This record gives sequence, C-alpha cells and structure tokens, in this order.
Amino acid sequence: MTRRLIVLAILIALLVGAAIAELALGAVKVPPGEVLDILFGNGKAGPNHQIVESLRLPRTVEALVVGAALGVAGAILQGALANPLASPDVIGVTGGAGFGAILIIVLFPEKIALLPIGALFFGLLAAAMVFLFAWTGRNRGSIAKVVLAGIAMLSLFTAGTTGLLAAFPEKAPSAIFFLAGGLTSSGWESLDTTWPYFLAGAILVLFLIRPLDRLALGDDVAASLGSRPQLIRLGAAVAAALLAAASAAIAGLLAFLGLVVPHVVRMAGRTSSQTFVVPASALGGAALLAAGDTLARTVRAPIELPVGPFMVILGVPVFLWLLRRAL
Amino acid sequence: MVQARKSRLAAALSLLAVALCLWAASTAAAAAPKRIVALTPFAANTLAKLGVEPVAIGQTVGGNERFAPQLNGVTVLPLSHPNGPNLEQLVSLRPDLVLSTKTWAKGNQAMQSLGIRVVTREPVRVNGVIPKTLAIGSLVGKLPEAKKLVAKMKEELGKARKGIAKRPTVMVILGVGHSPFTFLPNSWGGDLVRKAGAEVLAGGLSSGSGFQRISDEVVVAENPEILIVVPHGEPKDVPAITRYFENDPAWGATRAAKEGHIYISTNNSLLQAGTDAAKTIEEVRRRYLHNWPG
Repeated sequence: MTRRLIVLAILIALLVGAAIAELALGAVKVPPGEVLDILFGNGKAGPNHQIVESLRLPRTVEALVVGAALGVAGAILQGALANPLASPDVIGVTGGAGFGAILIIVLFPEKIALLPIGALFFGLLAAAMVFLFAWTGRNRGSIAKVVLAGIAMLSLFTAGTTGLLAAFPEKAPSAIFFLAGGLTSSGWESLDTTWPYFLAGAILVLFLIRPLDRLALGDDVAASLGSRPQLIRLGAAVAAALLAAASAAIAGLLAFLGLVVPHVVRMAGRTSSQTFVVPASALGGAALLAAGDTLARTVRAPIELPVGPFMVILGVPVFLWLLRRAL
Repeated sequence: MVQARKSRLAAALSLLAVALCLWAASTAAAAAPKRIVALTPFAANTLAKLGVEPVAIGQTVGGNERFAPQLNGVTVLPLSHPNGPNLEQLVSLRPDLVLSTKTWAKGNQAMQSLGIRVVTREPVRVNGVIPKTLAIGSLVGKLPEAKKLVAKMKEELGKARKGIAKRPTVMVILGVGHSPFTFLPNSWGGDLVRKAGAEVLAGGLSSGSGFQRISDEVVVAENPEILIVVPHGEPKDVPAITRYFENDPAWGATRAAKEGHIYISTNNSLLQAGTDAAKTIEEVRRRYLHNWPG
C-alpha cells in the first residue's frame, strides 16, 4: 500500500512539473513570474498574456486530458482483454481516426476545421465495426475474437490511409504531423468539440474499475461472483474507444502512450489492481504527454515537431529499466 | 456680380472637395493595418513594391523563397506544418494583418481564433496577379500605388508575350526526390509556361491542386519536345535531384532527351507565384522554349 502511495505521489509530482514546464517554456520567453501573474488573473494585457492564456494554457490542458485518456484507455483494454499488447490500436480506433483525418486533409483541405470531427467519427466507426464483428456470431465477446476483429479493422483503415497518401502524395507533409501525433495551439476549440466523449468515457471507466478487477480472476470466477465477462469487456472497449477517438481527434495517433504507460505503472506499483492502475495510468499518461509536448515545442523552436517520437524517447528508457527489474 | 458669386461658389466647392479627399485619405491611412505579416513571397514582394515594410515574412523550413532586396533585414518566421508560423512568435509581433495562403489553413483558423485578421490573397495563375495585387493594395491603404504597379505589370506582361511564333509541346515536371509530378495547366508554373507559348502536356491528368504524380511511361507516351524539371527539396538536396532527372534513363526515348532539351529550373519561379511573372515568361521563352524574337 505504501509503495502504491509513493508511486502515486511521484506521478503527481511529475505531472505538476510537466504542466509547469508546458506553461513556462515556449518559442517566446515569458518570465515565470509573469506566467504566474497571467494564470492568476493579474497579468498585463499584451502579447505575453495572449500567449499564456490563449495558446499555452489550452494546450497544457489538452496534453493532460489526452495523456490521461490514452493511459486509461490502455489500462482498461489490457485488463479487459487480459492481453499485455492491448492498446487503442487493438479495437481499431487508431486506424479509423487516422483514416478520417487524412480523408479531410486530402479531400477537403479547405475544411480543415472538420479534421477532429473526421478523426472522431471514423475512430468510433472502426470501433463500432469491431464490436459488431466481435460480439455477434459464435464465441461472441471472446478475447481472441475481439483482438482479431480489431487487427482486421486496423489493417483495413491503415490500408485506406496509405492508399490516400499514395494517391495524393503532395498532401503528405500536412498528414505527417497528425500520423506522428502532435498537439497544436488551436485554443479551446478541439476540447469544445470532444469533451462530451472524454466525459462519457471517464464515467464509464469509473463503473468498470471493480468489475475489471473481478475479470482478472478469470471469466469463470468472475461469472461465479455475479459479473458478466462479455458485458464488462464490451463496456471497457466502448469506454476505450470514446477516450481514444477523442484523443486522436485532438492529438493525432499516439498509440505508444496507451500501450506502455499502464505497464510502467503496474511494474512500478507491483500490482495489477485497476483501483491503482487506472488512476496511476491517467497521471502517468498526462505527465508523459505534457513533458513530451514541451520538448516537441522547444527543441527546435520556433519550429514545432510531432510529439510522438519525444514520448517514445522519454518513455522507452523508463519502460526498459522497469522491465529489466520486473522480469 | 453673378459672375463673382459663381466664382466664389466654385472656389468653395473646390475647397470642400479637397477637404473631403484629405479626410478620406487620412481615414484610409488610419484604417490601414500598420503591422503586417506576409507569409508568402508574393504577398511580401507585393508589399515591398507598394512601399510597405511588413513586420515579418514567412520562410518555409528548408525553402528557397525569392524575396525582394527591400525585405532584407525583415524578421523571418520559419513556416512548418501544420500551422505555418509558430503562433507564439506570431502573437509576440502583434500583427494587425496576416497575409497567408490556403497551405496553412489550420494555422489560419488558429490565428483567427486569436483575433488576428487573416487574409489569403495568393494568385493561383498568372491572370490572378493583377486582381490580387489590387486587393493587397486596397487592404494596406495603397490602392493608387497598386493601380500604378498593375498598369506596369500589364505592360510588361504584354511585352513578354509578344511575337510567339513557335508553340512547342512541353511537360513541366516537379521532381520530389526521385518521384516526378507533373505541373498541370491550372498550376502557377503550368499556366506560366503556357502563357510563354508552350502547349503544356499533362497526360490527361487533372487535379485541383495543380499537380499530379505521373508515371515515367506517360512522359514517354506524351513524348514532349521539351522537358522542364523543377527540383523540389531542401537546398542541399537539389543538386542530387537535378543530376537524377538530367540523366533519367526512363525519359531517354523522348524527343526532349534525344534533342538535349531537358532543362532544370532551380529558382522557384515556376513553383511559387511571383510579382515578376513577365520576367519569368521572358526567361522561359529565352532559355527553354527558344521562341523569343531575335
């Protein structure tokens, strides 16, 4: 118990540090005191005020929300499918969201504002198709069926994305940023569109934490305790689809985060209990994405780079270190 | 008596007209944006020709934009996907007006949400240069200067297109790495070469963007008399791309290759809309089409 509390405390400290760095650093130097003044409503009007309030603050909130959502999506999918390789990729969301975004970039570049909606729609559509195939017919809701349907859907939409990029290669530079995963300074607009999906996903997750712990004992034991394994799995997949599709709409494809963060917190906390793994994954995901985004914005400032590779650079060493100790 | 009254009335009306003109001019000057950011070479060079100094100009990362000498020393904003300029850097310049392009659609949307006025006035074809120049002149309170500039441009364009006797068949190729894309007649470069007198071949392809990936087989089938290649990439990569296309064995069967009429254009004048369309047309005619009189 003490170990878990220590891990949670470290994750909270990392998250606070990453959020402060995200707010304080950028292409334009704003003194830390002025950043604080602006955040507490005492700042002077001017460009720095606009930079902190309209650009960095929404972006920091986006990084925290998306990071937390992806961490949680990965955690509940790995728990529900009893598969350490499960991530939002496995239920087709990432492939669908990528296809939806590239479709807008390639065919409707003048309607770029529709990009988050395209990503969200196709992300959820892909997940819905996975649910349809996995929860109908024989062995409905079995782990193998969910995973295989997800891989098929991921392949289908990835092929669509590749086909679009091959047909319109001149659009590739615009698409790369989304495919590599990256936040953009677009104010509160993206969150305005996606917050209901985050909220719905988060509420669903709250109801799934204990059932997922029972599911970890095995389908038969869970059933004997009054749980319905297939329903729990479906609920987890729907929650993960909502969280991951909304995340992809804001930050592109960041599959690594959902895959690795739950493992890191499980190994660090030495427990697979969802009561610990879910909140810890939320904190860890949020901290990792905020830290990665700060690097992506500042390493070659004023040019902004996709955040995906930076998260890998930050996350892989920690993951490998823990893996070496755990196995 | 009546005559004197008429003279006084005429003088009063003249004074009133002068006063109205002065008031209108001062109002226009006051309303004209003072801090302008130009994200395209066309907008930046048009401003320079109108005597307006932008607070910053855009330069794509690894790009090779052609800017007027008057713009030396102006702050340069690196442009990269998806937004174009870094929005923090842009906001710190406190711009009244950003002259942008549809390429940065996502960034334009974000700039507008920050309360920045964003306008796209980029010609897609040569005929668009005149209205876009007037539009920029009007936006920055320099309409009379823009009208003068446009009159000069029209005269130069007329001269540049005089006496076209030979109309060779031409393919204009954008070389991205080792991949050829064809300039379609609706692209800036395709239109410009057509106006220089060429029959622009595009293998029956079309695209709203003005470019299409083209197979070498189509280039051979079209068999153009002239191939103009525009290497596209970071400046350090351009020599290698140039060497590749100059010696592309796939094009060996074309008339252009057999007669030594594969030309390389490296100064971006066919790729980016410019204020010097007449000069570029003349250059295309002299260097590539060989249909310039004398």
